[in-house]
Amino acid sequence: MSRNEVLVDAEWAIAHLADEKVVFVEVDEDTAAYDTNHISGAVRLDWRSDLQDGTRRDFVSKEAFEALLGKKGISADHTVVLYGGNNNWFAAYAYWYFKLYGHKDVRLLDGGRKKWELESRELVSEVVELPVTTYVAQEQDTSIRAFRDEVIKAIGVENLVDVRSPDEYAGRLLAPAHLPQEQSQVAGHIPTAANIPWSKTAAEDGSFKSDEDLKAIYETAGVDFSKDTIAYCRIGERSAHSWFVLHELLGAKNVRNYDGSWTEYGSLVGVPVALGDEPGQA
Amino acid sequence: MSSCGAVVGGVSLDRVDIAKEAVIQGVVHHDGKPASIGYVRLHDANDEFTAEVPISSQGEFRFFAAPGNWTLVALVPGATKRAEVSAELGQITDLDLLVA
Repeated sequence: MSRNEVLVDAEWAIAHLADEKVVFVEVDEDTAAYDTNHISGAVRLDWRSDLQDGTRRDFVSKEAFEALLGKKGISADHTVVLYGGNNNWFAAYAYWYFKLYGHKDVRLLDGGRKKWELESRELVSEVVELPVTTYVAQEQDTSIRAFRDEVIKAIGVENLVDVRSPDEYAGRLLAPAHLPQEQSQVAGHIPTAANIPWSKTAAEDGSFKSDEDLKAIYETAGVDFSKDTIAYCRIGERSAHSWFVLHELLGAKNVRNYDGSWTEYGSLVGVPVALGDEPGQA
Repeated sequence: MSSCGAVVGGVSLDRVDIAKEAVIQGVVHHDGKPASIGYVRLHDANDEFTAEVPISSQGEFRFFAAPGNWTLVALVPGATKRAEVSAELGQITDLDLLVA
């Protein structure tokens, strides 16, 4: 997978705003941002109400995903260009989600909404409704999704990459610093996990750093690209961003996102936990 | 499951126990008035990015940091501003970021 196949820039986006084979989709942590304004012609996906099962902690079923995308006017043949705020944090999560259900051509707008806004590019408030389609999804590709028992077996064996901030990794914070800190689970990280914050991979304007810089970030932190890799964060969103970097930009094999992440692992009874700035022992 | 995502302007302090938090908040000003489009980034004492929030339409932002020294970086179209700040548990640290 090359960078050109998974990333588009603003010029490409502008040239394809009216392209019927392309659908722009905004996915934001602030789901109301779309209501204020968005890229012309873009539809919205709500990471919570659209992409999460309303009862269990899991994703929507294949049938529900098909119904959702059909209703949004997206077909399996469309090139889907995702973008959102905070360095494409949630857009990358949606990218991984689309890949989980087998969508062939998904791309991210490099830099997302932030770069677009900081460059003072046009945003509109008009909402479009695309013609309904019959979307056909694939069964979940679990080669890119890790579950808790696989994570425990991977301690000291595979690359474990904790992409949270250093303070969350060390146990000094339980959540990102833009959120209140009261949580139920214990603090810390999975032993042997390297701390490579997701944010290291993005420039200040939200665009991804060069492949050379990205590879150096992971190698310097001890990632062995000959091994399988599991990335995790707090609930699997930031680690989807790092999964995108490792799997889609750098072409690393066998990279999985552990979407249960720290809110699941840190609540498990009897599993090992490491505290402090060092990875700890298996 | 609540999101890790950032709320525009920062999470409300309603129902938050301030005694357990080290809050950093404020307003970004650009050209002499509150900025309406922009972002504020929080960097730790090693200048490592820790969090980011989009500012509100009145330029507001808020973080729930750990006690210690932090750097704020305000981004608005065409300009940035850095500021050092210290956070303490149980306190709300307020500041204005003036972006030229």
